[in-house]
Amino acid sequence: MDQDVARLQKCFSKIFPDLSAEQIVNASVGTVRAWDSLASVTLLTLVSEEFNFTMDMDRFEEFTSFESLLKHIRATAPHA
Amino acid sequence: MKLADALDLSNRLNEHPTGATRVWLICGFTPLHLSTFFKAHAHLRLAEQSVEVITGRFGDLAGNIERAIEQPVGETAVVLEWTDFDPRLGLRGVGGWSVRALPDIEFEVKKRLAQFGSALDRLSQKSLIALSGPTLPLPPLAYTSAAQETAFELRLRAMTESFLAEAAQNRSIRILSQAALDVESPVGQRLDVGLELAAGFPYTLRHADAVADLLVQLLFPPQPKKGLITDLDDTLWHGLVGEDGVESVTWDLQHHAQHHGVYQQFLAALAERGILIGIASKNDPALAMQALERLDILIPPSALCPIELNWEPKSASVERILRAWNIGARDVVFVDDSPMERSEVQAAFPEITCFAFPGAASIWGLLLQLRGLFGKPEILAEDWLRASSIRANVRFQQEYSHPSSRDFLSNVCGTISIDFSKNPKDRRALELVNKTTQFNLNGRRYTEGEWLTHLSSKNSFLATLSYEDKFGSLGKIAVATGSCDGDVIRVRTWVMSCRAFSRRIEHHMLESLFTHFDASKIECEYKSTGRNGPFREFFEGFLDSVPASGILYLMKSDFAIKRPSLPHKTKEVTGGSGCRPSSEMLL
Repeated sequence: MDQDVARLQKCFSKIFPDLSAEQIVNASVGTVRAWDSLASVTLLTLVSEEFNFTMDMDRFEEFTSFESLLKHIRATAPHA
Repeated sequence: MKLADALDLSNRLNEHPTGATRVWLICGFTPLHLSTFFKAHAHLRLAEQSVEVITGRFGDLAGNIERAIEQPVGETAVVLEWTDFDPRLGLRGVGGWSVRALPDIEFEVKKRLAQFGSALDRLSQKSLIALSGPTLPLPPLAYTSAAQETAFELRLRAMTESFLAEAAQNRSIRILSQAALDVESPVGQRLDVGLELAAGFPYTLRHADAVADLLVQLLFPPQPKKGLITDLDDTLWHGLVGEDGVESVTWDLQHHAQHHGVYQQFLAALAERGILIGIASKNDPALAMQALERLDILIPPSALCPIELNWEPKSASVERILRAWNIGARDVVFVDDSPMERSEVQAAFPEITCFAFPGAASIWGLLLQLRGLFGKPEILAEDWLRASSIRANVRFQQEYSHPSSRDFLSNVCGTISIDFSKNPKDRRALELVNKTTQFNLNGRRYTEGEWLTHLSSKNSFLATLSYEDKFGSLGKIAVATGSCDGDVIRVRTWVMSCRAFSRRIEHHMLESLFTHFDASKIECEYKSTGRNGPFREFFEGFLDSVPASGILYLMKSDFAIKRPSLPHKTKEVTGGSGCRPSSEMLL
């Protein structure tokens, strides 16, 4: 599996421990009830920690799905 | 700790939420990662016990304190930041940073401090509090350059320092050390502006982790070490007394040996507050004693006991010292400049904590480590007594073991004072319960919150026993607690200091419980811990068999037949039944 996907899945699983691996890759604000603004902030903080780059917290509302976050990481993170 | 690790721990805790220790975390901002780190550190500190962190409402610190007063738990962490005093001191409020506004901000801070002080005082009647003063920098609202302080900023800091100093005098409030925080979280790396503006959480991850860790340490401190064994040559002093001579060993600036003097001074302060200090040195006994008795030494020989001076392996000396102190190696620190000696002692006592005596440049680090191991929240009356009591006990044991000492106990003029009041302010009882391992009914430990909850229950009792004889006072050395139901006493916890062994004080405790409560039966919640052999052996005398873990029963009539003679005078030092304590004794 793609390393970035696996690392991002790991981040998601810490915030949403009840989701399966398959549910995580399809996760979005609309499909995961626990995904509120605080979960978003925690998720972005974890992503920053995991991928070692600074996420702009002001943009947390833009990242509404696993897919959109993965795309941003691939475009921005230094070792992604 | 990384946030990912803290979340993993939190998720594990959430799988087992029953029986969790509940702790309030009160702050005016969104607790977010601080709460996660706090829960994770508490979980680690409480040996994998589940922890539930209760948080309040955003922007309402005063209201959150009131909610904690209404729904108290045993332990509460309170985190103050500048915005709790006035929103203009943060970035989420834009009330104006005009020079003309500064006096009003100062006025608000003063008013809020008075309000928080009063509320915390009330909360401290119900809960142990860990309190953190402002840790974030003040915003750049002053008119000077960054290099220059303003009187305004200095006055704000002085007000909060004064507030914290006042709070620190309250025995139920522990103040987070800014110096310790500075080590873990540099001031310039604490504020996360992006997270503050986006989510109302102002801390960087590193800062949140450091604050949470220290708060947990304040609420659930580790048991401090009890004794320190030190070497002499090139440790307590500079030089080898056997080769250089008594007058040539040094510990002063003039001889570039000041760090040995600082070490002596530190040990003297430890001894004064009841830490046991022993000497283990391969040395000529006469010469070493002469050096220890020099008038300019900074730790008097009277503070050192035992003093082992011989040419045997160090581990043999350490073994005798531990026996005299009657404590385990895990409660002791060993300091020696020689790697070989440390290695030999460590091999013989794997649980002992060994430190190298360092060169001058590193003495500060050693003292900080020792402070961490021996530090405790407060000094109790028994701490001042402990060292002299240990020396008295050594004399007692020598006389007691002498074959000519027939009926020795009846001649020691012992007096037992037993106090049945449930005074939650008396920290000695809880301290004794949480650090005693040998004469211990079941090894049960309590957090301060659990202890207060137990004492406040209607049927609970607490018996605290003090002892003195012609050799000196041992202070408070035994505690029994549990509940009473009619004429049946249920003992949940019973401990006695090892200093009090061989005096039949445990028999006096049972006699006092039967008498005070007019009880016909005592039930003891016994559990073998692997280390509480002395308790097992004591109770075996009443059962005529080795007790198994479970409830042990003792009828008053059996006790009267099987107990030995009780040699000491007994008196109750305060009146009142433990079952129906007077209201001022309760929380």
